[in-house]
Amino acid sequence: MNWPDLSMGGYGFYVWGSYIFSLIAIVWELVSLSHRKKALAQQQSATSVPTSVPASVLGGSANETTS
Amino acid sequence: MNLYKYASPATFYPLAGKMIPWFAIPSAILFAVGLYVGFFVAPTDFQQGDAYRIMFIHVPAAWMAMLLYVLMAIYAGIGWAFNARLSSMMASAIAVTGAMFTLLSLVTGAFWGKPTWGTWWAWDARMTSTLILLFLYIGFISLQAAIDDPRRADRAGAVLALVGVINVPIIYFSVQWWNTLHQGATIRLLGKPTIAKPMLTALLIMLAACWLYSAAVVLIRLRCIILEREQNASRFAEVEV
Repeated sequence: MNWPDLSMGGYGFYVWGSYIFSLIAIVWELVSLSHRKKALAQQQSATSVPTSVPASVLGGSANETTS
Repeated sequence: MNLYKYASPATFYPLAGKMIPWFAIPSAILFAVGLYVGFFVAPTDFQQGDAYRIMFIHVPAAWMAMLLYVLMAIYAGIGWAFNARLSSMMASAIAVTGAMFTLLSLVTGAFWGKPTWGTWWAWDARMTSTLILLFLYIGFISLQAAIDDPRRADRAGAVLALVGVINVPIIYFSVQWWNTLHQGATIRLLGKPTIAKPMLTALLIMLAACWLYSAAVVLIRLRCIILEREQNASRFAEVEV
């Protein structure tokens, strides 16, 4: 096992910079999805739909049938 | 088993919910293993030093950016051709993750370019075509957001996605077709890879992690889109009545 030097041989800013940016991007995506789910749950509870899926979804079909 | 029934948002919604943990948990494990192999097992490169370790996030991100665009175009095309709602919703769900991976490949590429080429950015064929890919993703997302009627938005998005798919082979072959600053492919579908085994192992594990992450996140977003669209449809129906 090689223990890497944290300074990455002088390239630490570039290596850690790229990984920190990637982490921020992934966390941003997960947090924004979580907010979206919460907002949807609030909307659903406001309209007091009893199931987790709207009735129109439960009765939906694969293709568009309405004009 | 009738798989066609899963083409309906109603039946796919609960199935997607069950599938998410099967993608999310292995993805987290593989990210941890991939980073461990990439940082603790893979040796320092004799030419680039430790700067090459950016590869373990840059290369999977670039591959995912291209693969997700092709998938998005296929789903958008199927949705348009067969009027299949779930396919169009899937295309919309893929777009944001694809855009994120494209941005990641550009930014991590800039972080890699500065120590190795001496510049953050150059207007070379690979980088410019990848930037165009980001604009295509942004265009797809913006177009869908700008049109109120989801069916019209899906059709408009499908046209853009299908036209833009021509950019993917341009990105892939750009390093062969033109003289670019960007290095050639180190891993080919046919032929031996030109990197050491531990480096290749870390790269492939990180690629698998990114694939599983994308699948999990796209399914979560797809479930949101199904609910949003059906809520909007219900509201619209109430107004109509």
